[in-house]
Amino acid sequence: MTVTIGDALPPFVIDRISPEGMRDWSVFLADPNPIHLDVEVVKAKGLGDKRINQGPINVAYVINMLLAAFPGGRIEAMDSRFLDNVYEGDRVIAAGTVTAVDGNRISCEFTLNVDGRGAVNSGTATIIV
Amino acid sequence: MSDFPPAPDVAGTSLDGTTLFTISAEENATLCRSTGVEPAADGTAHPIYYYIATQVAMGKTVAGLCATCDFDVDDGPMMGSSGVRFNQPLKVGESYKVTGEILSLVRKQSRKLGVMDVLTYRLRLHPAAGGKALLETDNVWVLPRKELAA
Repeated sequence: MTVTIGDALPPFVIDRISPEGMRDWSVFLADPNPIHLDVEVVKAKGLGDKRINQGPINVAYVINMLLAAFPGGRIEAMDSRFLDNVYEGDRVIAAGTVTAVDGNRISCEFTLNVDGRGAVNSGTATIIV
Repeated sequence: MSDFPPAPDVAGTSLDGTTLFTISAEENATLCRSTGVEPAADGTAHPIYYYIATQVAMGKTVAGLCATCDFDVDDGPMMGSSGVRFNQPLKVGESYKVTGEILSLVRKQSRKLGVMDVLTYRLRLHPAAGGKALLETDNVWVLPRKELAA
């Protein structure tokens, strides 16, 4: 596998963010925040009219993109910035670019974009291959 | 900043956990599929367990962590950033324990959010039997201080 600075990583796409996934993650995170579960609560808080995906799920999509790009690799480091919410029904695309190659250590920049709204998460990661 | 009272002095507060976190094969599989992938065949857990395991097994609940910062969780804490450094991958079927602490709570004025406190805390995940951390994570949350809005 030859990796070069500037290489684009294959995108990872979730076609539709599902409320069912948010219910599962409320259990995984032991965090029953109702903005992830109840549309009426989201409306009451003035946060829109759709349930809001938990932030760590969005990081997981990016991880999936990175691990698919480097089969057999492992993440050594990752820094994610949360720029905006992801809502139920959204279509999200994780994408990345190689920024450095140092032996078996590959550095990347990444974004998670929502169709029509742009980047909702961005950051950097280092993968050991 | 002199117009606002200072943020509570919570730096150094321990977040050491008292319970173990075990990554079950069943939950890992459900989690992986909920994000659009199949679980790894080599026994490693999804790396996002860095966040889940440390949050669930730290010494405070999310509401409790907010309360330590004199913040009501119902006022809507927001994730600002999350960073992780792995020494080893996490394994399905393994149990882990958490150590950690609050690094800082800084009060700021934001054009978008008004007055807010920026909470930074660090958590480490260790083998249940003890020993070197498998990972260290720094999380930053934004706590909007609506009660201090002009």
